[in-house]
Amino acid sequence: MATPVIMPRQGQSVETCIITQWFKQKGEQVKAGDLLFSYETDKAAFDEEVKITGTLLGIFFEEGDEVPVLTNVCVIGEEGESIDEFRPGSSEVKVETDEEEKDEFDTGIGGEVPDEKIKPVGDLKVSPRARKRAGELGVVLNGLSGSGPKGRVIERDVLTVAEKQPFITPLARKKMEKDHLIYNKERYKKGERVTSKDLVTQTDQISMDVERIPLSRVRKIIAENMYRSLHESAQITHHLGADARKIMELRAKVKKEMEMREVPNITLNDMVCFATVRALKQHSDINAHFRGDHIIRYRSVHLGFAVDTDRGLMVPVLKNAQSYSLPEFAIKMKDLAEKCQTGKIDPDLLSPSMASFTVSNLGAYGVEMFTPVLNLPQVGILGVNTIQSRPVSMGNGVMGFVPFIGLSLTYDHRAIDGAPASLFLQSVKEEIENFRENI
Amino acid sequence: MPKKLFIDPATERKSGLITFKSIPVNQYQKSIEEEKKNYSNNDLIRIYRDMAIIREFEIMLNKIKTTNEYNGISYNHPGPAHLSIGQEASAVGMAYNLSVEDLIFGSHRSHGEILAKGLSAIHHLGEDALKTIMAGYMDGKTLSVVEKHQKGSEKDLAIDYLLYGTLAEIFARETGFNKGLGGSMHAFFPPFGIYPNNAIVGGSGDIAVGAALFKQVNKKPGIVVANIGDASMGCGPVWEGMVFSSMDQFRNLWEDDYKGGLPILFNFMNNQYGMGGQTRGETMGYDMLARVGAGVNPEQMHAERIDGYNPLAVIEAFKRKKKLLEAGKGPVLLDTLTYRYSGHSPSDASSYRSKEELDAWMKEDSLKHYEYQLINAGVVSSDQINQIKNQVIEMITHITRLATDDEISPRMNLARQPEIIGSMMFSNESVTRMEEGEPVVNHKLDENPRVKQIKRKERFGLDKNGKPISKIKTYQLRDGIFEAIIDRFYKDPTLIAYGEENREWGGAFAVYRGLTEALPYHRLFNSPISEGAIVGTAIGYGMCGGRVIPEIMYCDFLGRTGDEVFNQLPKWQAMSGNILKMPVVVRVSVGSKYGAQHSQDWSSLVAHIPGLKVVFPATPYDAKGLMNAALQGTDPVIFFESQRIYDIGEFFHKPGVPEEYYEIPIGEPDIKREGNDITILTIGATLYKAIEAAHVLDEKYNMQAEVIDARSLVPFNYVPVLDSVRKTGKILLVSDASSRGSYLKEMASTITELAFDDLDAPPVVIGSRNWIIPAHELETYFFPQVHWILDAIHHKIIPLKGHVAIEDLSDDTLISTMSKGV
Repeated sequence: MATPVIMPRQGQSVETCIITQWFKQKGEQVKAGDLLFSYETDKAAFDEEVKITGTLLGIFFEEGDEVPVLTNVCVIGEEGESIDEFRPGSSEVKVETDEEEKDEFDTGIGGEVPDEKIKPVGDLKVSPRARKRAGELGVVLNGLSGSGPKGRVIERDVLTVAEKQPFITPLARKKMEKDHLIYNKERYKKGERVTSKDLVTQTDQISMDVERIPLSRVRKIIAENMYRSLHESAQITHHLGADARKIMELRAKVKKEMEMREVPNITLNDMVCFATVRALKQHSDINAHFRGDHIIRYRSVHLGFAVDTDRGLMVPVLKNAQSYSLPEFAIKMKDLAEKCQTGKIDPDLLSPSMASFTVSNLGAYGVEMFTPVLNLPQVGILGVNTIQSRPVSMGNGVMGFVPFIGLSLTYDHRAIDGAPASLFLQSVKEEIENFRENI
Repeated sequence: MPKKLFIDPATERKSGLITFKSIPVNQYQKSIEEEKKNYSNNDLIRIYRDMAIIREFEIMLNKIKTTNEYNGISYNHPGPAHLSIGQEASAVGMAYNLSVEDLIFGSHRSHGEILAKGLSAIHHLGEDALKTIMAGYMDGKTLSVVEKHQKGSEKDLAIDYLLYGTLAEIFARETGFNKGLGGSMHAFFPPFGIYPNNAIVGGSGDIAVGAALFKQVNKKPGIVVANIGDASMGCGPVWEGMVFSSMDQFRNLWEDDYKGGLPILFNFMNNQYGMGGQTRGETMGYDMLARVGAGVNPEQMHAERIDGYNPLAVIEAFKRKKKLLEAGKGPVLLDTLTYRYSGHSPSDASSYRSKEELDAWMKEDSLKHYEYQLINAGVVSSDQINQIKNQVIEMITHITRLATDDEISPRMNLARQPEIIGSMMFSNESVTRMEEGEPVVNHKLDENPRVKQIKRKERFGLDKNGKPISKIKTYQLRDGIFEAIIDRFYKDPTLIAYGEENREWGGAFAVYRGLTEALPYHRLFNSPISEGAIVGTAIGYGMCGGRVIPEIMYCDFLGRTGDEVFNQLPKWQAMSGNILKMPVVVRVSVGSKYGAQHSQDWSSLVAHIPGLKVVFPATPYDAKGLMNAALQGTDPVIFFESQRIYDIGEFFHKPGVPEEYYEIPIGEPDIKREGNDITILTIGATLYKAIEAAHVLDEKYNMQAEVIDARSLVPFNYVPVLDSVRKTGKILLVSDASSRGSYLKEMASTITELAFDDLDAPPVVIGSRNWIIPAHELETYFFPQVHWILDAIHHKIIPLKGHVAIEDLSDDTLISTMSKGV
């Protein structure tokens, strides 16, 4: 028999606990005595053990969720048993986390959207059928006037409204009622569908000229990673220019060679990256991961490099980058970039924890200086800027203009201090300025 | 009513006197010595043994009830045990000469009678017959418990079997004679001629008469004994049973082969107390119970008082009375004088009688006295007596051990099989005839005048142009009922029908017109105005295996047969553990025009009682189909008819009511008019008010009502109604029953539960007022009218544009009316 596991009450004053870790996953066999999950109050941490042997049929809360005590947290039973009856009637956390899936047709009964939340406010009387039809037809009950006995909203009132308006999803209706949102009545007609993403505030409605773009998966992940990076680490950026004459000469030579024979197209970016790899070999303190209570320093260089694709920013990793000659290096880089563009990249190679360091090049866009954001847990990222000419003393009182390529190093000050970071940046500069490689 | 019985004023007005014969009182005075020519020593000893077994059985129960222990066996029996210690001679004497075909019915205090009749049956039956009965009864479940432990003869095994089956039943064990569903007050075992005891005092008083009627009508051998207490002489059903059983027509009017008084013996086990009330001297006025026989018929019911303390006196009397009954001279009344030492029940402190009285009766204890006589007459030695006593104790101890062991004698496992009792409430069989054989009829069916008349009628109520056909030319609802009934009379030889004015008159409402011509007296007859006995005898007739249609002329008279309809008819199938069937169709006619005591729809009352099927057809097609189904079944059906619409034609089923046989399954509602906007569910004649209302809704308010005729109340398939409500979102329920407690409220509640989210308004029930029913001229203020329906829709379900309500349906009025109990 399916049996729910509740969040225990640890002391009379405790009203909610936070789940800190799940030791078991949905579908896993569990037996009495196994650790099930850990949780904490504002004062102490606890472990919850499995009390009955069976299958973990479902988990209602995730790590980090705040759960009212005595609420069902998960269900243990035999495979195939329904867990719906144990699902907590109200879970604000759950409702908010998975909007896209929840915003499907939903009768509002026993589902994630608690019934009382679609109940209209105030004293409005609504027949059960009218409420059900409102759900099916996507009609908001607020503000409806009832034509039934005693002003009761009855089915026909809902049908009248539904004749004129688009279908409003249950979540959208809930949000409209809760957050006082509206949809653009000019834009959505009968037969169309208004979801929570189509809702705007009253102010938006006035300015009218807005468009809501739903987040793609990739966008969501990027947003999450970037935010977390800035939120969780201590980032600082140093800027430095490197004399680009050597690499520009080499680039010109590559171009010329390419006209005559089959050689790899080695770009300036390849060269800067190659130079960076060399510098990293000398500075393992930045070729590293910061893991909270310890630091991992890599002997090899696994170089991540930013690739702009139609689906958004991707950062593939070239493993053991130090082991390649420049032409091999360039070919590998090109290959990885293409795989990102075509979507054939091995997802493992996109993980931030695969790379030991990242290079991000915005030079092609004329960017003169920027502060790249770390791909945690990496300790450093090098931003590469456009090439600008700078007046430089050529000796003997002669001033000349020399092309300089801008370098912006962001590093995690938790892991490394300013001086060693600067030394690394200088190494990169030196490698660029003394770039001498066979093509 | 028969015309051939001329009531001559000259005779009736003549001066004269009614004379009575003397009623014998304790006339038997023979000694054992004198009886030796009639009984072998073994017979006399067997009588002693049987009494001793009963005595010990009851002592065991008394010990268990009062001390929770018997011979080292601890047991708590919280249920009833009305003991008959002291009455053993009456029981054994009663049963001594009865054969297996002779049936006994009992009371709440019948353990002794069951055992006595069982022991007598075991003595009379051959070993093979016993073996067959025991192995066949309930698949040998009871036998399997005792046969493991009994190594003696088949008869010894049968005695164990009898004692165990009875005790296991008393202790509510599944291995008991009735699977533990009957218990102490309802244990019985038909194969030995032991028919139901009855926990209602006098309950057997009319049921047993029905069993005798079954024997008479179906020419079965044997007599029927109703063992009832002296106090039951105060009960209506007992008087009604005696009156029914002594009808003159049995001897004067019934056809030759069937002539004769019913073979029924009312054996009043007169222990002189009814609970704590002393019948002689306190609660009755008969002086001696036997006197009552003199008031019932000229034969004075052959009444006698006999000494129930002397087994030989009882045997002698029963021998004589049985002969009378077999000769068609019943009914017989015996006042079998006895005394119970235990109280009404073990919880009774006997505060109503003196110790001196008890001692005086115990001093003359039948068992002790008989033992003394046997020893004195040299029939038996003291040693032999002691040996018998020890054997009996051993036997009862052994049986008690078995019956109190939860492993050996489990109870029904309702946790594992929660539906097991529910599944026994009805037998749900489909049986064309209860017995094989040629039904006795007077002529061929197509020669029947009514049948010929119906042939000329239009079987659909509207002509080609949709105009109603005149009533006289239309096939009416009463014709539908008639067709089904006469058809069954020609199929099932056991079928009989009776009630008030069932014969020449053709029933008060002409349903049976034509039946008199078709049927001999014994299949269709007028009963006394005894509703209790009309239904009670039908119960006895049904449980013996016959099909019967008792008629209650007005629904209002159901109260007169309350015990039979509420306590007896619905219970016996399940209480017997499905040993018995109850193919009894009670026709009940709901009146109108005749005021407060002749116009009530009480369908809700019977629908409340588990174990009855309840139907209320409102169209000729449904009436015929439902009557066919009721008569094909084996369950008790209360068949309501409305006097408002006996003459109504068929307006729904095209092309009309089929001439051939068909059944409408009991429990299926029928959509009489389709619509999408509101559902109206009706019971009975209000169907036609609902149809009228539907027309108004269509014409004035552009609403299409779906009208559903419930047709049945129990069982009831809610699916079509729920489907309709899902479509319309609105439901109004209407019937002629007074609204408070109406069965429609139950239906409304169920619909609300099952279709809550589909409802656009609460289900609204319209019933009659909670008043007395006024005169016909004022009935429109009492019974639901078309405008009530419209007003209720307007007020409570969906406002109708432009409708002006007449009724005050405000909440305040409703609350105020209810607060006044109206």
